[in-house]
Amino acid sequence: MGAYRAAPDPVCERAGSGAFREYKLDSAFYDEMFRDDGEPRQMSRRLNATLAATPPEDLSILQAGVARRFLHEGITFTVLGKREVTEQIIPIDCVPRLVGSAEWDHLERGLKQRLHALNLFIRDVYHEARCVRAGVVPPDLVFGCPQYRMEMRGLKVPHDVYVSVCGTDVVRTHDGFAVLEDNLRVPSGVSYMLACRAAMKGAFPALYRECGVREVSSYARRLYATLASLGLGSGEPRVALLTPGRYNSAYYEHAFLAGEMGVELVEGRDLVVRDAALYARTAAGLRRIDVLYRRVDDDFLDPVVFRSDSVLGAAGIFHAYRAGNLVLANAPGTGVADDKSLYAYVPRIIRWFLDEEPILANVDTRLCREPEGLAYTLDHLHEVVVKEVGGSGGYGMLIGPHASASERAEFADRIRANPANYISQPVLALSRAGCFVDGRLEPRHVDLRPFVLQGRDEQHVVPGGLCRVALRRGSLVVNSSQGGGCKDLWVLKA
Amino acid sequence: MLARVAGEFYWMGRYLERTEHTARLLDHQLRCLVDTPANELAVQWSAIYRSLRQPAPDVSEDADEAEVFLVADAYTLAGNLVETVANRDSILSCWGAARENARQVRPQLPLRVWTCLNQGFLWLRERNFAEAWATGPASLVADVVDRMRLLAGVVDDRMPRDDAWRFLMLGRFVERLGQHALLLDTWNDHGRRDGTVLVLAWSDLLRICGAYELYCRAHSMSVRRGRVLDLLVRNPELARSLRFCVQQIGDLLAGIDPAGARYPLGAPHRSALRLAASVEIEEPGARASGPAWEDESSDGGFFATVERNGAALHDLIMGTYVEYSALGTVP
Repeated sequence: MGAYRAAPDPVCERAGSGAFREYKLDSAFYDEMFRDDGEPRQMSRRLNATLAATPPEDLSILQAGVARRFLHEGITFTVLGKREVTEQIIPIDCVPRLVGSAEWDHLERGLKQRLHALNLFIRDVYHEARCVRAGVVPPDLVFGCPQYRMEMRGLKVPHDVYVSVCGTDVVRTHDGFAVLEDNLRVPSGVSYMLACRAAMKGAFPALYRECGVREVSSYARRLYATLASLGLGSGEPRVALLTPGRYNSAYYEHAFLAGEMGVELVEGRDLVVRDAALYARTAAGLRRIDVLYRRVDDDFLDPVVFRSDSVLGAAGIFHAYRAGNLVLANAPGTGVADDKSLYAYVPRIIRWFLDEEPILANVDTRLCREPEGLAYTLDHLHEVVVKEVGGSGGYGMLIGPHASASERAEFADRIRANPANYISQPVLALSRAGCFVDGRLEPRHVDLRPFVLQGRDEQHVVPGGLCRVALRRGSLVVNSSQGGGCKDLWVLKA
Repeated sequence: MLARVAGEFYWMGRYLERTEHTARLLDHQLRCLVDTPANELAVQWSAIYRSLRQPAPDVSEDADEAEVFLVADAYTLAGNLVETVANRDSILSCWGAARENARQVRPQLPLRVWTCLNQGFLWLRERNFAEAWATGPASLVADVVDRMRLLAGVVDDRMPRDDAWRFLMLGRFVERLGQHALLLDTWNDHGRRDGTVLVLAWSDLLRICGAYELYCRAHSMSVRRGRVLDLLVRNPELARSLRFCVQQIGDLLAGIDPAGARYPLGAPHRSALRLAASVEIEEPGARASGPAWEDESSDGGFFATVERNGAALHDLIMGTYVEYSALGTVP
């Protein structure tokens, strides 16, 4: 098959011609593969040439092969229906998205800066709250946030690392990269990044080699090193990953990461707290756990402290944490910094804590809790995106230009009823990347979730990320629950 | 290893063994469909269902058993054991249950083992039993048996001999012990019940157990009940003899929990030793009343006792390694 041949000389085709005849450029959107004049970007020439030289039938076979591989290896996410639980594979597109070395370095610096500032911010709001007193952030935004955990006030967190694993949603427009959202609680998706990479290396081995792609396979090792660095004792800490269980939509990822790191994948029912320390029930008796990488939300972590009806955590975990006998990653209460309302203040937080200008831009955001923001949002409902501050997965949002008049009117009522629950942002011109859809190469909107690790002494950004793609033509919603898929992101060495 | 994970491996082993056992029974039975008279087939179906502790499908409890299997069609009888999801012991259900156990232990399970198990399950789930029946049902269950053998080979090749492997194999042999004892009990008991004229062929039992060639090499082709039972109970080299099963169980328990560890000679070990004694010691002719399986003084007979002891061993394994109380066990 074409894909297994050595990549041909980069004799490239323009957008709208040859294999790319269905590839319609739109100057409103930054195209990852082609320049506005239709010529392929320099870094995409080899990819472009390979795709042009591969018959669509072969690409279809490759695409089907990748999907089959996902199915057989159980790379699935769980969908909870009303009556049954089904496993689905995430749709994967076989055309990689490329990012150049220089632009990635810029992105990496910006992500590190952002996480550093947010960790300082979280520490501050649970201790002196200096930034609140200084007026950097309104007090009610912090202390009124549902994710603000009173239980964390004054608590000494090991090495002051509140967020050790962060997944930041980034989009690209003609103006460059911008952060759309920080995920500081239990970000997921990294396993799909690794699975996509394994599949794509198999699908385009020659192209992969010739492009010079930076590796992502060290992620699990880095993650383990990050978690282990947070341990409190002098020896090698015993690390475990806490999952809600197999019915959780990200269960595959939990199992995958535990397997890759070589740590136990525990559920709440495996855990026991005795003498303010956490133990796992093993076949040979109880064994101590020092660091718990929990993929369970705060609410469900400990029924004694948080939701009393939770069976996903274990009674006493927070007690062990407070006693200094356990490290939780990420720490409880980090959600206060990834609330959509607080997002608008992150540039100010960076300036105040680090005395630096933000490297990565924010998306212009208006808070409906403020009278001006509310008025603007209601007046411009037909041209903005409105989101619930606690919403996720593409639900609870209104894309003004795509909504009907009645939908907008209904949403306006909801905003007026509870303005503090909403923010608005302009409709972003998400960049588009080449995808193989219905036997043709066409552009589709994409975003990116890189993962940042914060250990005791160092930060690390894996050179790749979960690249989500809106597979429906014209759609801007990349969530897998709403017709989105994923593709591999190749960060080039040069 | 987490106690829950140990339990998942153990149950995975049990479900896989149950899948294979049912498939082996059906494989033999479906091959017989071609040239066996209907009344003999009915007896064989009855024996299969009885040995699997399965009620005949879609009949009332007070129906006459012999009649039920005489009038029931093979398609329904086989389909109930292959694809009926409502039947928790059908091949599809057991394979699915094993897959769910495997999903829970993905970090400990080599990718190739998972892929082989998952691929096999997806293959079976997508098969249309009605179509398979039209083209030759024997090949479907034969494929199941082959895929189970392939999986066993991949497990053998890819899994380190650690506790995960031991619990998996422990589950297999505990299940095999129980299933095998029930099977022998069914064959042994059948001819003595109700004055039935038609009896089950001992050569069929040997074939189901994969022991026909071994028997012929040892005893020629003259198949006699006493020799068959002796082979299937006491032969230490036959993978489906009771003796082989209890020997494996003993070795696996010793590996999981060697003497001198937490439970020197723990309850499961003692139970396994008692089981081993019951199937190993009895030499033919050593007792005036003949071998142990001829002794009807014990409750339900020898094989029923073995099966009950196997079930008790299962409870001890679960209670000792999986579902023990965490109170007072902090090291």
